[in-house]
Amino acid sequence: MRKGLFYIPLVLFLGLSLFLLSGLFSDPRERDSAIIGKPLPAFSLPDLMNPQQQWTPESLKGETFLLNVWGIWCPTCNAELGYMSQLRNEQGVRIIGLYYVLPEDPMFGEVFDLATLQKDVQSRLQSFGDPYQFNILDRNRRLSMDLGVSGAPEHFIVDADGIVRAHHIGDINPQVWRSKLAPIYQQWAAKP
Amino acid sequence: MIPELGQLTLTFAFALSLLLGVVPLVGSFTANERALLVAKPLAVGNFVFTLLAFIALCWAFYHDDFTVVNVATNSSSILPWYYKLTATWGSHEGSMLMWVMILAAWTALVAQFSKGLPLLMQGRILGIMGLINVGFIAFSLFMSNPFERSLPFYPVEGNDLNPLLQDFGMIIHPPLLYMGYVGFAVSFAFAIAALIGGKFDSTWARWARPWTLAAWMFLTLGIMLGSWWAYKELGWGGWWFWDPVENASFMPWLVGTALIHSLAVTEKRGTFKSWTVLLALGAFSLSLLGAFLVRSGVLVSVHSFAADPERGVFLLIFLLIVIGGSLLLYASRMHSVRSQARYELFSREVMLWGNNVFLLTATLVVLLGTLFPLVHKELGLGSISIGEPFFNQMFYYLNIPFALLLGLGPWVRWKQQKAAPLLKPLSMVAVFSLILALGTLAATQSVTANLALLGLLLGAWVGLSALLEIYQRLQQFGSLSKGIAKLQASHYGMTLAHIGFAVLVVGVAMTLTYSEERDVRMEIGDRVVLAGYEFELQDVYKLNGPNYGGEAAELDVRTVDGRYVTHLHAEKREYKIQRMVMTEAAVHARLSRDLYVSLGEALPGNAWAIRVYVKPFVRWIWLGGLLMSLGALIALLDKRYRRPTTAVEVRHA
Repeated sequence: MRKGLFYIPLVLFLGLSLFLLSGLFSDPRERDSAIIGKPLPAFSLPDLMNPQQQWTPESLKGETFLLNVWGIWCPTCNAELGYMSQLRNEQGVRIIGLYYVLPEDPMFGEVFDLATLQKDVQSRLQSFGDPYQFNILDRNRRLSMDLGVSGAPEHFIVDADGIVRAHHIGDINPQVWRSKLAPIYQQWAAKP
Repeated sequence: MIPELGQLTLTFAFALSLLLGVVPLVGSFTANERALLVAKPLAVGNFVFTLLAFIALCWAFYHDDFTVVNVATNSSSILPWYYKLTATWGSHEGSMLMWVMILAAWTALVAQFSKGLPLLMQGRILGIMGLINVGFIAFSLFMSNPFERSLPFYPVEGNDLNPLLQDFGMIIHPPLLYMGYVGFAVSFAFAIAALIGGKFDSTWARWARPWTLAAWMFLTLGIMLGSWWAYKELGWGGWWFWDPVENASFMPWLVGTALIHSLAVTEKRGTFKSWTVLLALGAFSLSLLGAFLVRSGVLVSVHSFAADPERGVFLLIFLLIVIGGSLLLYASRMHSVRSQARYELFSREVMLWGNNVFLLTATLVVLLGTLFPLVHKELGLGSISIGEPFFNQMFYYLNIPFALLLGLGPWVRWKQQKAAPLLKPLSMVAVFSLILALGTLAATQSVTANLALLGLLLGAWVGLSALLEIYQRLQQFGSLSKGIAKLQASHYGMTLAHIGFAVLVVGVAMTLTYSEERDVRMEIGDRVVLAGYEFELQDVYKLNGPNYGGEAAELDVRTVDGRYVTHLHAEKREYKIQRMVMTEAAVHARLSRDLYVSLGEALPGNAWAIRVYVKPFVRWIWLGGLLMSLGALIALLDKRYRRPTTAVEVRHA
């Protein structure tokens, strides 16, 4: 009995090191998104290229899609355009862009100009690839805020009923897609 | 060339540490005197070569050798020379080399100052230190080589040092902190040597005491400096953040504090043996755990180095060998050891037992708070974070009984103490504490029952009790002057450290309760009044530093009745290469309060966001830490520790 007592520190330490070991192989920054399992927040926002067209959660329903928060100011977003175009063309993934407008700084004479932005986006998509069915313009960043976006790029998988099923922070590359997002996307896309 | 020489000398050091880790230990079991005698020169040689390697890296930084990857990523040619040198330990690789160098230094110091130890113990202790050296030098050489070159394609300009680290604090904070962390390796080696030998008489405790005190002193200074640095550099007046890395340094400190007290019991009374050994193993184990947490990326923290799972795996294996191995040895050896000493319920033994219980509970709180998020997530329960409120509340509750005990402890004798003789002096202390606390509060703030009053009461109780106790002790020598000369240095040290704790408690309680802050929009000429001080913004202009631009603000401070107090100069620096914005807060420090101003963003209309703080007694926090480490220094110089051992010297095993 008394002898066993002296093994307690060793046992506790070994237990702790198990957790440390598994901790090594997971990302401490990864967080469960609060939005998963909830419907898209309410919004009514214009199309980037065709501002007369208004998008609402209702109008997006019917088919599972990947919502990509991005902007041409974000180099990583540009880098993933190629692979996402491949996903669209080869696997028929429905990708909708949520264009995140950076706050402009009037001190430096920056003003928001839709025509220039449309031109810049178009040329960017021409040179890197265009994965988007269409782009929603989040002019005031309200929707991004409601979705809990902390930076760009971020991705959400939304099912046919408009329920958010996955949230990925960071870019989509073949590994991330295959190991993390594709299973979820296919699961919900396959549902009748 | 020089970096290659550095690599070479580090490899030599590796070879020497391997010899040091094997030869004397084998010699200690085969009773080979020559094998034991070789430990000392090996330890010194190991230190010389690691020092040369460290100097080589400093040289590469000083001369902007951007062909070395580590220099290119952590320094730049426009950095002032002193920051170029400190950039040497600004990165994971460089700080690891410094860690190795300091470990080798401790090993060499043990070799130099262990003349009084039996040869057998000397050999074992140095051998164990050698094995720890092997692990860390291997980590530095094979997993995080600081001398790696990027030839032939090297950058012409470096990436610059993280602006946070471009501060005076960076020059001394990491070296002191590492001196503390690594210093516990010595207590660890003493404990392991005792475990191997199976002898736990009071001599090993006496040998281990000064080394533990030295390590604890450095760790205290290091933590205190880190706190002061964060306070002035991060720009929002916080001095402790319960950040995982701070916690990683706090845990060995708490266990080290418990160890110092427990060693006293083991030395003087020959009891608490198994407990003391466990604490000695624990202090260094927690240092290692801290190194792992900081360098493996399992936790999110402002201090983390770049994460690399391979390094983490190496460190974890090292942890398993060192901690797991030592705990296994502990379990297999310690159960047969029994302490014979008898003591009553009201005795110094029990008081120190109480000290240990509270300090270890505190360690457990910090450990759980730090690791629980990790465990929670790995169990698949999702991410959570444990923050300040949890720690603050736990420490609030722990601190009250701890401080009460601390005021009482030094009065109580070994073995048995009668309550009656203590009633008079202690009730005197209690009454004076009440008067002092209420008086201070009435003079500086207003008298209300709050955290500040509690802090002042506890602080006064601990401080006054320590003072009265040493006064009474001095008088026991016949006269006061005779007593001052005759009292042991360690007693002065203890009293000073306890007063330091009292000062710290007062500082924390007062700052938490009475700090005032305001975020204001100010144009030039605007004034803001806070806690009886009026701050006037006089000018804001462009800055032009060696490697930064930005803005500086000039403020005058007056009391509300118009008396001039001081002029403040706050900066907001934009570092060119790393494109980072740093605040350099302006601080006017007095014992009773700090005035603290940090400059924020420019706002439309020629105005600036300015943050103003008045923080009463915040200096007392660091003053307390300083007194504690000074106490450790004085205790460390006690003549008793330098007397040759009276125990029978065992020349042959």
